[in-house]
Amino acid sequence: MKHDVQEWAVIKRLLAYTNRYSRPLSLAFVFLLLATGAKLAGPFLIKVFIDEFVTPGVYPTNWVVTLLVVYLVLHVSAIIFDYLQSISFQKIALKIVQNIRMDIFRHVMGMRLAYFDRTPAGVLVSRITNDTEAVKELYVGVMSTFVQSAVQLLGTYIFLYILEPTLATMGLVLVPLFWLIIWVYRRYSTKYFAQVRDLLSQLNGQLNESINGMGIVQQFRQEERLVRQFEETNEAHQQARYRNLKLDSMLLRPIIELLLAFSIIGLLGYYGVLSTTEQVQVGVVYAFISYIERIFRPVLDIMQRLSEFQQAVVSADRVFKILDTDEPAPGKSLEGTADIGSGEVRFENVTFSYDGEVDVLKHISFVAKPGETVALVGHTGSGKSSIINLLTRFYPYQSGQITIDGHPIEQFEEAELRAKVGLVLQDPFLFTGTIEDNLKLFNPTIDSDKVREAAEFVQAHTFVEKLEAGYGHTVGERGATFSSGERQLLAFARTVARDPKILILDEATSSIDTETEERVQLALERMRRGRTTIAIAHRLSTIQDADLILVLHRGEIVERGNHQSLLNQDGLYKKMYELQSGQRLMS
Amino acid sequence: MFQIRVFKQLAWFFKLEWRTYALGIVLLMFVAALELVPPRIIGRIVDEINRESLETDLLWMLLGGLAAVGIGNYVARFFWRYFIFGASIRLGRMLRSQLYRHFTDLDQRFYKKSRVGDLMAHATNDVQAVSTTAGAGILTLVDSITMGTFVIITMVTTISWKLTVVALLPLPIMVALTTRYGKLLHNRFGVAQAAFSELNDKVQESVSGVRVLKSTGEVGRDVDSFEKLSDEVMAKNVRVAKIDALYDPTIFGIVGLSYILSIGYGAYLIEQGELTIGQIVSFTAYLSLLTWPMLAFGWLFNIVERGRASYDRIERMLAVKPEIQDDPMAATKLAHSEIEADIHAFRYDETPVLQDVTFRIERGRTLGIVGRTGSGKTTIVRLLTREYDVHDGTIKIGGINIRQVKKSLLLDKVAVVPQDHFLFSDSIANNIAFGKPEAKLDEIMEAAKIAEVHEDIMRLPEGYATLVGERGVTLSGGQKQRISIARALMIEADVLILDDALSAVDAKTEEAIIEHFRAGNPDQSRLIVAHRLSAVEHADEILVLEDGRIIQRGRHQDLIREPGWYKDTYDRQQLEAIVEGGGHHEA
Repeated sequence: MKHDVQEWAVIKRLLAYTNRYSRPLSLAFVFLLLATGAKLAGPFLIKVFIDEFVTPGVYPTNWVVTLLVVYLVLHVSAIIFDYLQSISFQKIALKIVQNIRMDIFRHVMGMRLAYFDRTPAGVLVSRITNDTEAVKELYVGVMSTFVQSAVQLLGTYIFLYILEPTLATMGLVLVPLFWLIIWVYRRYSTKYFAQVRDLLSQLNGQLNESINGMGIVQQFRQEERLVRQFEETNEAHQQARYRNLKLDSMLLRPIIELLLAFSIIGLLGYYGVLSTTEQVQVGVVYAFISYIERIFRPVLDIMQRLSEFQQAVVSADRVFKILDTDEPAPGKSLEGTADIGSGEVRFENVTFSYDGEVDVLKHISFVAKPGETVALVGHTGSGKSSIINLLTRFYPYQSGQITIDGHPIEQFEEAELRAKVGLVLQDPFLFTGTIEDNLKLFNPTIDSDKVREAAEFVQAHTFVEKLEAGYGHTVGERGATFSSGERQLLAFARTVARDPKILILDEATSSIDTETEERVQLALERMRRGRTTIAIAHRLSTIQDADLILVLHRGEIVERGNHQSLLNQDGLYKKMYELQSGQRLMS
Repeated sequence: MFQIRVFKQLAWFFKLEWRTYALGIVLLMFVAALELVPPRIIGRIVDEINRESLETDLLWMLLGGLAAVGIGNYVARFFWRYFIFGASIRLGRMLRSQLYRHFTDLDQRFYKKSRVGDLMAHATNDVQAVSTTAGAGILTLVDSITMGTFVIITMVTTISWKLTVVALLPLPIMVALTTRYGKLLHNRFGVAQAAFSELNDKVQESVSGVRVLKSTGEVGRDVDSFEKLSDEVMAKNVRVAKIDALYDPTIFGIVGLSYILSIGYGAYLIEQGELTIGQIVSFTAYLSLLTWPMLAFGWLFNIVERGRASYDRIERMLAVKPEIQDDPMAATKLAHSEIEADIHAFRYDETPVLQDVTFRIERGRTLGIVGRTGSGKTTIVRLLTREYDVHDGTIKIGGINIRQVKKSLLLDKVAVVPQDHFLFSDSIANNIAFGKPEAKLDEIMEAAKIAEVHEDIMRLPEGYATLVGERGVTLSGGQKQRISIARALMIEADVLILDDALSAVDAKTEEAIIEHFRAGNPDQSRLIVAHRLSAVEHADEILVLEDGRIIQRGRHQDLIREPGWYKDTYDRQQLEAIVEGGGHHEA
């Protein structure tokens, strides 16, 4: 029963989203009521026609015409209101899904980077789009079906009462019967449906894995064994589908039709017996038969939507789980406001760990004076990137303090920090869109002139101009058509367009084609001028003129100084330098 | 309507299942015929009631007849479903198995060309669509034709052809309208789907580029742009809903029109003495039976269209043949497993990848191959396992050209540990015993010990029973590589090939593994392809490849003395080891 409780919680939360739409929702309900009323009036009018005119065989023209007009008016309004209610419900449902989608997207994008490190992108994409799409089905298909069916059922019963209260009361017997059928069906279908779904995903999992690992399968000649395994799952899946099929064949449409047949038998029996003692109006019999058929359709609709409903609740639950995961990016957490002026960066005894167990930075202290360049070098995993991750306030650190112009970084507004601290990433991520879009990156305050200026400044201009559409060139395949050097230049331009006070550079590890290499170096030099720069360098040749070079090893600064003094020290830096110059000689 | 061709394409299946289909179709027709009875009985009773001449005996008889029809229908409905949908489930299963078996037959060249997603789509969506064609497709085809003709014939012969013509007048409008909606819906749905996949890409991009967005402070604007896109998706879905919402009102409207026509004109016919009220009531009941066949025809078109496209894709897929096939005269036994390679030239397309590469691997000896990325090392491995065939030159095993050796025999003799360490979602024990599923645990442990991974495994929560892969623990690249090595050791091949399979293993562990090899099976010969020279230090011969040619060959001790690539690389790697150790030689 615990499962049900959870299901209810999810449904309640989904329903809460409708609060914002109480007005359009009420309107949709009015449409639904009008449509249902107009639809149900039809058989009633036909009954009047049969009993008043056809049976006695008299047709007073004006009455017949009035009845016909009323029927047609009601018929047309039923069509119109039916359309209106359907479209209104669907529109509201789509808007709600849009709200949920925005909520989860905004929520996810506000999470700290650690969350993204941990959660595969595919999972997030699937939550934000596919699961919300399943929720859409829930609203558009299921919920409106449930509401419409319920109203139709109720309306039909009301008309039955108007026609013949005794019989309508007898008809109430159907309610527990319906309830019983739905209950039994649900009880088994939940289980069977889950089995089919699980086996299908197992089947697809096996297939996917076999395709990916076919090389190994063939190398070890295990084809037959895997085919056998696949056959087993395939067989189990087939059996599960048979069970499901049997259940559906027993308890869905056939049983509803059977019940309908017996209801009609009961109805005819009632009137038949009645007719032996008193006069029965055949129009009522006709109307009753029409109504009773209409009771059954909504029940069938509901039953057929049950499995879809359960699926959607599972998806909604996953969406809500993410919405409940609260890991906001570290933001402004200290009182007071501060501005970044000259751009002095100071690390004081900073210790940091991603997982709270292993310290990846230990007691790091250094100062980058305004306009100076501090270079970070070291092997992979030495802690260079972590220093950048802290300075950009992507991760909260455990102890020590990082200040800019004497203010702890926790004191800056998000906008101030992002505007003044520019980060150039190792592998510049290019978005779908034009080059100009990529340099602006959605920011409308950066105009085309500024884009060009920035591109010229970093010398990206020359290659962009060569493109057919220039800055309007559409970036394809995440920029794979550009060389790594060109991508780097675009990333520079993106940062320069924002004119930061402090520059953080994460140099590309991949080698850059010699043609662009020179331009990259020149651009770097120009960018650094007048800006405090913290640079991760993979190629030591690029940072020989740095004011301070920090050599990191296993989270500690093991050597510090400028290029010459470090070479004189004859330590790790010197070895690295030799290694790289040797490599250069060889290539 | 030539899409119906798919039924012809599936003729083999219908032949195979002809009994089930015959039964199902007979039952379907039986149901259609039975459905014609109740309206007649109802009409009769209504007439009797109207004439106030209903005898109780007759009433019970008629009601008994209704009950019998109802129950008969229930049983027949259950069984036709079971037969027809059951067959469609079986078809799905068969196609899935066929595809899977076919996938195991295709070679690595095929897999390099294909995308996993496409292959998966064949076995999921396409199989589903074809299976639906054989189930719901057959159902709608048979049902709409039999039901439609039965009902119309009954209306004409038992009630009135004039009334039938008048009542059916509006129905072609319904067919025309719903067909039109179908087309519109298809188009708009396509547009909405495209917008949805754009949204999907957008999310993918935002999540992947989250660092850039955060560091430029543009998350908020990115959310805005997502909102715009998401709004668009909603608007396009509303356009779909606008068409979708037309169906019910249209059907209701047109069917209602038919009703009013039949009742109005029917009243006139009653006045003329041509009909009774009961007949009108029967007639309207028949009319309601016609709605479904009319709608089904539109459906049928959709189902069959999808089914045909999908079946074409599946057939094309099944027609793909593996490029390398066994020679019918191929050897099934080898005297020994000595390898002699004499490759004059090999190319994948235009540029030669290997030129004049000759070597021998004698029993119990080790050959090392080194060289930079793209020098042709892996190509040699591919040729030895006949992923590709050499046309200019020969490779012999046991003195026989490998093209004249049964591929399964070759794979039995030669075990490869590939660069990409693929593990299955299964326990570690099963992964190691992949090529020898009957192996005992101590055998598995023995192999794991040789591959230096036993202790890592023992540290895992469930030891050898620990699950790996998607749903299991995450192993490091080095651990996965060593498990792959253990897996290859299990099959005790005469020749073991390590294709850069130690790259993620640290130097010390690598040394231990190589040491185990040397101390192990003295009859096994080995080919070690490596980046790190320490892996081939003890090889009996080392080949240095560059641009597909052997530029140096000899033993380690000799090669480090002669100037050239080997010595340069050796020196660099020594230095690298020092840098990695933080400037000191690590013990």
